[in-house]
Amino acid sequence: MTATAGPERLAVTEPLRVAIIGNPNTGKTTLFNAMTGLRQRVGNFAGVTVERVEGGYRMPDGRRVAVLDLPGSYSLSAGSPDEQVALEVLLGRDEAHWRPHVVLVVADASHLERNLFLASQVCELGLPVVIALNQIDAATEQGIQIDVPALIHEIGVPIVPTIASRGEGIEPLKQAILIAAALPVPERRFTLPSDTAAALAPLQEQIERDGFSPSAAAMEALRLLSVTRGEAHLARVDELPRHLESTRDALRALGIAPERVEAEARYEWISGVLARSMVRRERTLRTFSDRLDAVALHRTGGPLLFLVVMALVFQAVFSWATPLQDVIEAVIATIGGTIGGWLPAGDLRSLVVDGVFAGVGSVLVFLPQIAFLFAFIGVLEQSGYMARAAFLMDRVMRRVGLHGKSFIPMLSGYACAVPGIMATRTISDPKDRLATIMVVPLMSCSARLPVYTLLIGAFVPALPLMPGLDLQGATMLAMYLLGTVTALAVAALFRATLLRGPVRPMILELPPYRWPSVRSLGVSVWQRCQLFLRRAGTVILSLSIVLWALATYPHATVDPTLPEAQRQEAQLGYSALGRFGHAIEPVVRPLGYDWKIGVSIVASFAAREVFVSTMGTIYGVGDKEEAALVDRLRAERGADGALVYTPLIAVGLMVFYVYALMCISTIAVTVREAGGGRIGWRWAAIQFGYMLALAYGAAWLVIVVGRAMGYAA
Amino acid sequence: MTTPSSRELPVCTCPLVDSETGRQATVVAIACGDHDACRLRAMGVYEGATVSVIGKRHCLLVDVRGTRLALGADLAEGITVRPQERPKH
Repeated sequence: MTATAGPERLAVTEPLRVAIIGNPNTGKTTLFNAMTGLRQRVGNFAGVTVERVEGGYRMPDGRRVAVLDLPGSYSLSAGSPDEQVALEVLLGRDEAHWRPHVVLVVADASHLERNLFLASQVCELGLPVVIALNQIDAATEQGIQIDVPALIHEIGVPIVPTIASRGEGIEPLKQAILIAAALPVPERRFTLPSDTAAALAPLQEQIERDGFSPSAAAMEALRLLSVTRGEAHLARVDELPRHLESTRDALRALGIAPERVEAEARYEWISGVLARSMVRRERTLRTFSDRLDAVALHRTGGPLLFLVVMALVFQAVFSWATPLQDVIEAVIATIGGTIGGWLPAGDLRSLVVDGVFAGVGSVLVFLPQIAFLFAFIGVLEQSGYMARAAFLMDRVMRRVGLHGKSFIPMLSGYACAVPGIMATRTISDPKDRLATIMVVPLMSCSARLPVYTLLIGAFVPALPLMPGLDLQGATMLAMYLLGTVTALAVAALFRATLLRGPVRPMILELPPYRWPSVRSLGVSVWQRCQLFLRRAGTVILSLSIVLWALATYPHATVDPTLPEAQRQEAQLGYSALGRFGHAIEPVVRPLGYDWKIGVSIVASFAAREVFVSTMGTIYGVGDKEEAALVDRLRAERGADGALVYTPLIAVGLMVFYVYALMCISTIAVTVREAGGGRIGWRWAAIQFGYMLALAYGAAWLVIVVGRAMGYAA
Repeated sequence: MTTPSSRELPVCTCPLVDSETGRQATVVAIACGDHDACRLRAMGVYEGATVSVIGKRHCLLVDVRGTRLALGADLAEGITVRPQERPKH
């Protein structure tokens, strides 16, 4: 790719390609959602802003525009893998992705000084740039007045004020992007002192020789002065480290500290620009955010508030979603019953009713819970509370050798380990990041919810403990806590052994509190639900059918005079699944499980929810759905007449699911994020192995201790 | 553009950690790891920037032109500031 030489001419039929970049907390994702609406294509696994998310829209004249949401970055000096991605895309050095025609820089109008640092770097990349002056309303409230025409004149690119959360300024912004595509590319607006420029010239030439435009090479040369680690996209520049070192020496000889040059030059220019285009009333009043922070970051009040918020989230996910779940259950039951009624009795009806509807249906019921969980995490993120949580947790995290920032991926892990692991890209220290990746799957994700809900619903009574919390809710909370505490312990272990190293100091922005945008939340939750539905329609559907077939064939010749339940039992025992189950029974026997649980566990190694759908299929409860499955489980007796499921077994089983890594997507994402190839596979194997050992050991311990305490198992 | 030589450094400088809460100060030098220093500069903490400590917990809460940053105490140890005159009321 030699695209770095300049922007490509674009054909009229081709969509206009726009990349969005901006500091974290500028409302970048909200703006992206406001521009593209629901027309987004999310990769198989999407984090909030960590994964590349693509969307698009059409101009009134029919012109198509493709938009790429780049990860939030403070500068282009790639500190974290996240920022590296953004830089490579903008330079056209990312082989896997297109180079944009136009770059949209989202700048927070209340923090222009810092935001223009990134903008000034982007303006030198040799691409047309548009700046969205976002959250202009908040800036006005804080007494900041921006003279937009003056700012446009100073920076030399189109600038559009927007309020993304209310959808204001979106149309003018789209117009500006279209116009900018045809404008000449912006250039550096400041000049370095002549001695500095002379010292930089050889380095700049060297970078240019690798196909960079003069403007981009100048930007890179200036930027690299303060960058100490090697960057992949510059690996082909001939003898870069030597040239860089001699440039630094030349600057030092002039009495100039090389690492300061870029920041001083850019900020000096920015302060001049803002002096001519911005009026700021001296802020004397404490802002709303400051007052909230007085509570949220209070020494004792802060952690307390944090616990209350967490408890509220879990109780809400568990109880508020119930009415919606009942509706879905009823709809699936009706459709399954109707279709089952049309089909003649036999294998086909059994496939549809017991395989497809019982299997997929029992998982679909959890859609509302998953939507609630993602909505809550979205609210925490958008409101700005997530950063406070990271701040509060930094103390705890530091004790186990992690960074406060590691808490955000771990919290995302409550929703799904995949975006959680992707969110570790914002952690710049590789060992810190790897340790976080290794423990994120210990956080109970939404796929465990169906398993917990089924077992708690069946075996834990709803004894009220205190207002707003009953024994069922408390058990659920206990499972989440168990996973979380273990994650911290395991992280400490990794940091003391395989990933030993110093903890990086905390640098974290605490963004001002904001009301979350309902529209943007809706878009993110919808994306998540789509992914869940796609999974239900593919992985879970096909596994359900396979399991149904294994449980149905070969047909046994059963005495037709026996009662229905016994006939079913005999058939199941004779089937391929039954034989397999009996073969593996010795392995799960020490945990107190029978072969049916064993089969369900094995089947759910691809995806945990399959445990529930397998249970649904094995017990062939079809149109009666989960309520019936719960009853079947409670009444199930083994060959010796003893109950198969006791509360102790249920707890042991839940503990097993807290720890076991049973998710193909997580394994795939760990392989990729831990370094790919053999290194990635090695870490994924370590992760899978330790979690399985932990699961088996802990479930066994629960049963042994429980029996010793006199509980039935 | 040049680094302030020791002669130009005012006598009354201190690490950010020891800076008085609520008092504005000018960053004079950033001597943490190159990587963290680079990050700090991009976030608005550069030599010459005005900052003020607004709270001290296990980390420092710092105001940088209206932005709130949480900085680890070990990091704040390496940032040297010169406290400014108190604004007249």
